[in-house]
Amino acid sequence: MPRSLAGGDLAVPEMAQPYMKKDDDDEDVEYSPFFGIEKGAVLQEARAFHDPQLDVRRCSQVITKLLYLLNQGETFTKVEATEVFFAVTKLFQSSDAGLRRLVYLMIKELSPSSDEVIIVTSSLMKDMNSKTDMYRANAIRVLCRIIDGTLLTQIERYLKQAIVDKNPVVASAALVSGIHLAQANPETVKRWSNEVQEAVQSRAPLVQFHGLALLHQIRQNDRLAVSKLVSSLTRGSVRSPLAQCLLIRYTSQVMRESSMNTQNGDRPFFDFLESSLRHKAEMVVLEAARKITEMDVTSRELTPAITVLQLYLSSSKPVLRFAAVRTLNKVAMTRPLAVTNCNVDLESLMSDQNRSIATLAITTLLKTGNESSVDRLIKQITNFMSDIADEFKIVVVEAIRSLCLKFPLKYRSMLNFLSNSLREEGGFEYKKAIVDSIVTLISEIPDAKEIGLLHLCEFIEDCEFTYLSSQILHFLGNEGPRTSDPSRYIRYIYNRVILENATVRASAVSTLAKFGALVDTLKPRIFVLLQRCLFDTEDEVRDRATLYLQTLSGEVPIGNDEKDAKDFLFGSFDVPLANLEASLRTYEPSEEPFDISLVSREVRSLPLKEKAAPGKRPPAAAAAPAPVSTVDAYQKMLSSIPEFSGFGRLFKSSEPMELTEAETEYAVSVVKHIYDGYIVLQYNCANTIEEQLLEDVTVCVDASDAEEFSEICSKPLASLPYNSPGQVFVAFEKPEGVPAVGKFLNLLKFTVKEVDTTTGEADEDGVEDEYQLEDFEIVSSDYMLRVAVSNFRNAWENMDPESERVDEYGLGVRESLAEAVNAVINILGMQPCEGTEVVPKNARSHTCLLSGVFIGNVKALVRLSFGLSGPNEVAMKLAVRSDDPEVSDKIHEIVASG
Amino acid sequence: MILAVLFANSDGNILIERFHGVPAEERLHWRSFLVKLGSENLKGSKNEELHVASHKSVSIVYTTIGDVCLYIVGKDEYDELALAEVIFAITSAVKDVCGKPPTERLFLDKYGRICLCLDEIVWQGLLENTEKDRVRRLTRLKPPVEP
Repeated sequence: MPRSLAGGDLAVPEMAQPYMKKDDDDEDVEYSPFFGIEKGAVLQEARAFHDPQLDVRRCSQVITKLLYLLNQGETFTKVEATEVFFAVTKLFQSSDAGLRRLVYLMIKELSPSSDEVIIVTSSLMKDMNSKTDMYRANAIRVLCRIIDGTLLTQIERYLKQAIVDKNPVVASAALVSGIHLAQANPETVKRWSNEVQEAVQSRAPLVQFHGLALLHQIRQNDRLAVSKLVSSLTRGSVRSPLAQCLLIRYTSQVMRESSMNTQNGDRPFFDFLESSLRHKAEMVVLEAARKITEMDVTSRELTPAITVLQLYLSSSKPVLRFAAVRTLNKVAMTRPLAVTNCNVDLESLMSDQNRSIATLAITTLLKTGNESSVDRLIKQITNFMSDIADEFKIVVVEAIRSLCLKFPLKYRSMLNFLSNSLREEGGFEYKKAIVDSIVTLISEIPDAKEIGLLHLCEFIEDCEFTYLSSQILHFLGNEGPRTSDPSRYIRYIYNRVILENATVRASAVSTLAKFGALVDTLKPRIFVLLQRCLFDTEDEVRDRATLYLQTLSGEVPIGNDEKDAKDFLFGSFDVPLANLEASLRTYEPSEEPFDISLVSREVRSLPLKEKAAPGKRPPAAAAAPAPVSTVDAYQKMLSSIPEFSGFGRLFKSSEPMELTEAETEYAVSVVKHIYDGYIVLQYNCANTIEEQLLEDVTVCVDASDAEEFSEICSKPLASLPYNSPGQVFVAFEKPEGVPAVGKFLNLLKFTVKEVDTTTGEADEDGVEDEYQLEDFEIVSSDYMLRVAVSNFRNAWENMDPESERVDEYGLGVRESLAEAVNAVINILGMQPCEGTEVVPKNARSHTCLLSGVFIGNVKALVRLSFGLSGPNEVAMKLAVRSDDPEVSDKIHEIVASG
Repeated sequence: MILAVLFANSDGNILIERFHGVPAEERLHWRSFLVKLGSENLKGSKNEELHVASHKSVSIVYTTIGDVCLYIVGKDEYDELALAEVIFAITSAVKDVCGKPPTERLFLDKYGRICLCLDEIVWQGLLENTEKDRVRRLTRLKPPVEP
């Protein structure tokens, strides 16, 4: 193998040693220059760096070996790294350019510690001021990699010079170093603004690119400055396509931010984006198209971008096809009609060699396709599914589910597709995605129920996943008995009792019992099957069989009648498990049995972290225990106070609300406890002044703006020492079951006594004083418990349609659709269901489902349909169903007044 | 940010790997993910044909050059389009150093020079130089030729 072996050549001929590829035959012997390389031996060789007469070629070879070791993931101990580093610094003596370049790389790779850096800084500083441009560029890069903030200020002057150096390599080195340094030393780098500004005007494309990136980084928190930057550059000429892409991103960011602040819909830079669609660099065109599609534009403005993307779908370059189809896929999520014109090109991409492109094409088509093309699409996808990985298949299955919900009449072919997919090989996540999809389709499309259930039954005949079998059995138990011929499912269920593991057997027993409870004709036969389960080897299965046999035969009374027995079998478990667990933990074994009805139904959000500065102020709500059991704890605490023990059952307790600013001398928060006919205000008070003791602490409540409330009693606090919080209570009577609202003004009154901090003793005489607290209101959402339902659709249909009240509201101009949705959720204080509180980006309409329990234990469900008209003008349709039509009206009143 | 640049041979053994801003504990995961991606898709693919994928919020562009597979992972501004620029710069430089699409042996013979090229093209996760002639001159500490 002839090779030039000039000084400094990095080829490594004499290192070549036989290197046998593991699986190859003898004649395929290959030689690896690094075969048998050992760290210890290479470190020994590195001693050559100390030779007074440096052998440049040998040193280069040793450095190459060291680099190979590092690139293979080999690590050096601290001592080894230090030794190598010191040795490498000796190589600065050589003036060989090739070796010097390797030395720069090696120092960066070794990243020496701060105490070692000093050894090499003088050499690097010398190089940084060298007349040789390339020494300067490399020295800058190495220095910026290894120095800290103090050294940076010493070399700052040189870096600023380098940024405007006429050699583009030096300028780029300084600019890229600036981008890295700005993360740890933003203030220093900010001072280079003028030089960077000059670099942005450079004729060298890469200098312009790096300059623009750094300038944006320096100014990113100053909206006006970024806007000015964009404004000047969009008028001028940007040479580098890379810089042009950056400019497009910054421009769209400026447009997005300015559209939030102005309502007139002006988009000053839109012409720039549009003209970028005609740029000669493909990268720029695609970036511009992508940004336009992400904006809130009219169909007319969107069309040129879509046309450009469509052209790239048939590009010979896979990256361009991928970028185009990925962008179109995103557009199809929010504006499927805009992408319909690309369907023919997308269909041809389904056979693309690159599976990522093919999958994106399919999922896009599934979003844009019309009803007539569904069958053809499904057929094409079936051929495609066998040769893609599970993660792609899951994406396709989810897209099929959405498509089926869009075109419910096509359920048959789509269920067949899903059922065929169930029979194919695949992992748990994939199978779960299919089962979830079938379950969703059955729940949403009534006609699909029977055929869907049979597909699921066939699947559990040969299902290797216990979790999925149990899930399907549970679902079958709820849906199967209500079909036209429930008996057809029994065989599949009982087969599970015979063939499966204990978990699945137990689930099957429960499912059988549900059929027995609902289908009278099947009951005697179910009895026989359940009796067979009494001899199961697993006690859980036997116990369930025994319980259900006795329940169904009426031997064990569950409630008062058959309806109660059915509720027992079918009733959704409406107690949040976390609350149940917390209540069970606090339950002390006694004569009194545990009462599940006392467990709070309210879904609690995670506790907010205490805002108080640590050490300075004890948390005002310190008395309140962990959030899940808070309601239990409040109930217990309030019922132990004689004045409040006759108030009945506590309906709801609010989160503590701060009535004082942070860092003030007294910290007070209020918790609103709501009863049917009363409210109790619990003021959590804390004294943060060590030199004071407060006594006779009361809260004077002015309820003149809350007419329906009348104060009945108050429970003051005898003493409030430093760092030991206490509570003051004030109780009000209000009309029974009425969600009265009003504003409460509060004044903290007390006697202050001075405390000698050395002895801890307080003066005998005190001074009366008062402290103004913030006002707060009792609002309608205080009468609403956040209670989730597991299946909103079922719950909605089970409620009397007569109770439904529908009306439309204009919400005016809002910041965004998501902000409007959140505002309404907060006004109502209800629990969002099925993740509908999350509004997809760029959505023009959204439906949000809420559930809750209103005071008087009235269940209420809300469907909110939001739509955007004009620039951020939000309209809302509100439909409410509840156990009591009056509550439906009341919820409308709350929204109307909110 | 260019998160990773990784060269491997056709058996999936790593020849060069460079990570930027990827925690040490995640590197192994990335390494095996990329090698698996290559083994599934690069077999039989044409020399320097680009492949592209996205995984969560990152983009991956990969290819074969001679007997060597090259993977580049990026996020944010380094999407598939910018990564295509990066991979083009790297493959051009490697071919320039080796004189042709390299065999594994040739790649290892030119290892030091390739490391230097890589250092000129990608520096701590940012694209610095793109043009192969310029990169070649820079690795020899020679200034670029004025256009």
